Amino acid sequence: MNGIAVWRDGAADGPTNMAADECLAAEAARRGGMVVRLYRWEGTTVSLGAFQSIATARECDAIAGVPLVRRPSGGGAIVHGSDFTYAVAIPKRHAWGAKPQSLYDAVHGAMIESLRSCGVETRLADPDPAAEGAFFCFDRRAGGDLTADHPSATAAARSVKLMGSAQRRLADAVLQHGSLLLESNLDVGPAARHLALADLTGAVGQRPDGWPAWVDEWLERVAASLGQQIEEQPVSFLGTAPLGLAVGRERFAASRWTNRR
Amino acid sequence: MAAPRRYAQSHEWIRLEDDGTATIGISAYAVEALTDLVFMQLPEVGRHVKAGESFGEIESVKAVSDIYAPVSGAVLGVNEDLPKRLESLGQDPYEAGWIARIRPDNPADLAGLLDQTAYDALIAKQSH
Repeated sequence: MNGIAVWRDGAADGPTNMAADECLAAEAARRGGMVVRLYRWEGTTVSLGAFQSIATARECDAIAGVPLVRRPSGGGAIVHGSDFTYAVAIPKRHAWGAKPQSLYDAVHGAMIESLRSCGVETRLADPDPAAEGAFFCFDRRAGGDLTADHPSATAAARSVKLMGSAQRRLADAVLQHGSLLLESNLDVGPAARHLALADLTGAVGQRPDGWPAWVDEWLERVAASLGQQIEEQPVSFLGTAPLGLAVGRERFAASRWTNRR
Repeated sequence: MAAPRRYAQSHEWIRLEDDGTATIGISAYAVEALTDLVFMQLPEVGRHVKAGESFGEIESVKAVSDIYAPVSGAVLGVNEDLPKRLESLGQDPYEAGWIARIRPDNPADLAGLLDQTAYDALIAKQSH
């Protein structure tokens, strides 16, 4: 396989997006190479990590009334809606498939270069065990998270986390999806808001089609590091009606899944 | 004396015990690859699993990985303390870090898994 298939989806609800990401992993295994899906959300939605406590989520006033979906992947809660969300899937035997950090660093490293070309300096974070149990993903610091200097010189030395990702490692494929905060989300309370790209740069730099200006370069850099080319798909991934989408959507929408822990 | 460990391609190990049951865990290589483990969901006791079926999950800082049954069988018991001391998986993955005991439907199925030499070759390949 020489190309990396990229689908750009419109907005969908949480269960549909999670089911589609699982279908993407199956697609990577079927094709034998990397595939990418870029997507949006139908309104502000909170995604929980696979094992986060539903009680903690329900008790968080800042996200009261916001739709919840539980991801198949790990990590902390993410407020979607004003972020850039992606999913990448590779077969398990892929060069970046053996260890979680390989894919994580490759995708985030390409983003550092892409943002730099737009004048934004970011770096891969060192892990911060003290923040490991934080409820929100963007309050955590895992090794390889994308961070930038805090815009205020008077703020604590702590950096701003702009991008985090999480994986589901299946028998024959690895799914990694992640989020880069474009703007602070005003649909949630202050405790659930985090500094975003626009707070550092003054603007997100969106193209007329709504995708951030640096997305194409990011994809090209990921592809170049594999010696491959990007193959934009003529229809959305959801438009391909992937096998298993309906069943997956039902599972991710079920309270049994959402309330599993 | 227990038989030598066999391995699945998905990095679970299994060892046939003298009483015909089998002990299952995940390999030292898999634990190291996952890095910092934070949570584990043990298999359900009493459940019958098919070979290759997910019957547990383990979360590291970045990833959730399924634990797959290396052979078909009934889950007889699990290492109840393991989620509270996940460090055992790294420190002693083949003894204190065992995950589940099953009664294989067909003990001969273990012969179809990787022996130590073949598994070492697999991880050597995956490490490069």
